Amino acid sequence: MESRVLKPILAVYVAAFILFLYGPFVVLAIISFQSGPDGGPQFPIIEWSTYWYRQVFGLVPPSRVAPLPFGAALIRSLVLAFMTMVTSTVLGVMTAQAFRRHFRGSGLVFYLVVLGMMVPGVLTGLGISLLANNVLGIDRHWFTTAFVAHVAYTFPFAFLVMLAILNRFDASVEEAAWSLGVSPWRTFRKVTFPLIFPGVLSAMLFAFTLSFDEFPRTLFASGADQTLPLAIYGTFSVEIHPNIFAFGVLTTLFSFALVAVYAILLGLSFRRARRAALQEDIA
Amino acid sequence: MTGASGAAPLVAPGSGAARRGSGTWLLVAPGVVWMALFLVLPILTIVYVSFWTQTTFAISPTPTLDSWRTFFSSDTYVGALWTTVRIWLIVLFTTFVVGYPTALFVGLFVRSKTLSTILLVICVIPFWTSFLIRVLAWRPMLGREGAINILLMRMHVIDQPIEVLLFTELSVIIGMTQIYCVFMVGPIAFMLARIDRNVIEAARDLGAGFGRIFWKIIFPLSLPGVVVGAIFVSVMVLGEFATSGALSGRKVNLLGNIIVTQVGSLKWALASVTGVVLTVIIGLVIALLLRVVDLRREL
Repeated sequence: MESRVLKPILAVYVAAFILFLYGPFVVLAIISFQSGPDGGPQFPIIEWSTYWYRQVFGLVPPSRVAPLPFGAALIRSLVLAFMTMVTSTVLGVMTAQAFRRHFRGSGLVFYLVVLGMMVPGVLTGLGISLLANNVLGIDRHWFTTAFVAHVAYTFPFAFLVMLAILNRFDASVEEAAWSLGVSPWRTFRKVTFPLIFPGVLSAMLFAFTLSFDEFPRTLFASGADQTLPLAIYGTFSVEIHPNIFAFGVLTTLFSFALVAVYAILLGLSFRRARRAALQEDIA
Repeated sequence: MTGASGAAPLVAPGSGAARRGSGTWLLVAPGVVWMALFLVLPILTIVYVSFWTQTTFAISPTPTLDSWRTFFSSDTYVGALWTTVRIWLIVLFTTFVVGYPTALFVGLFVRSKTLSTILLVICVIPFWTSFLIRVLAWRPMLGREGAINILLMRMHVIDQPIEVLLFTELSVIIGMTQIYCVFMVGPIAFMLARIDRNVIEAARDLGAGFGRIFWKIIFPLSLPGVVVGAIFVSVMVLGEFATSGALSGRKVNLLGNIIVTQVGSLKWALASVTGVVLTVIIGLVIALLLRVVDLRREL
């Protein structure tokens, strides 16, 4: 390739691309340090301050800017994301486990599951709320109708992650266990599951983050009680203050913490696997 | 001991296979039931309710085509249909143009695995910020007193702030391009990384220039990645309403915005008609894209 000419040009382009990806967020982070409570969500910065961060935590005296109504919403979102994570990971592991052998109708099942990530949230949300509200006449709640809509969205991701992991899985270790008379369930618990655990962690991370940030499905399918994305959306229609930007920075830091926990868990499970392998070598 | 382990395999194959046969369906059933009840049934419900009778305050299951007639005879709704198609085509194009060179660099030009992984992680990190906050972040960027205008005025490129940057169709397109371009980069980079370098070497040894190598080898081999990226971007853009709502000042109305507004005013039947129209469009788009490349053969 003409890499001597093309490669530097592309490298500069990629730098510009990264700037494009991060630019708005950098601006948002800068403005989150605007002075308060009179500074607006725009340039110039009147005076650097952490006023809006303190405002998010309710540490400033009341002013004309109402505090963000996010407390209860945050807890609901965390609980919902946790429920979604557990359910979709269990479903994902089960379905992917079944796909390790060919069965009749496997193509149909595959497309049925993958459909969940192909249908836009606005349609799933509308459909679920029509079904609950108009056809069945039941109330919508974030932990019922919104929950099932969330799982219908995150389960395909968990399934695909587990499918990729199980495709590379060496089945002979399981066969060894079976031929030694170990029951299938015990084999799964003691042999298969520890080996696929890194994949399970990824599936859980996917499901949790997707559900935590899910907006269109929740907008239609949850009832009166808001989750965090709905509460954020609610602030769009009124005047915007830098407190929402400060909140954005804080949630990003929280996400990083979450990813760090995931990385640590993954590292630990690898180390444990390596230690187990070493012990086997010694034995 | 020897007797037991010797006898076990004799019994195991038959009963084990039978047990695993029904076991497969036991494993699959929960997921299938879940998707049937909470994905397929809701979508069928949208089709069903689109034929219900809507009055100002209520909706009843008496079948009628009224909502369909209302949709297709109204300039607002048909206009939203065309706006959706237009924005989808534009964003599909911009995400491809913006994303392909990045994918080319990450997938083909970077030799070190570590560096390409780092670059991909850098692309993914913004997704850990709430989607709505990422949309909102464009406001201080594009506004009349936004970062871009201030920067351009400081550099004396312009004297007057550019007004069309925010609360226009342009701002919606810029925002959507930034939010969705990574979904193009990933699949294309993945396909490019799988290209056998020897093929490129061979073509070069035979005297082909980069342009020729690109159009004859690299681009055709990356096409499945482009199609996967296009499917991701299409599905998300066609179902959008938050970005258009927040960055256009309600000037750009997509089908998604129509659904939200109609549900907000309890016009369920009309929202359902819009939902069916959207479903049909998405179905057509995916079918069309899968025509271009046979994904099951390529992946």
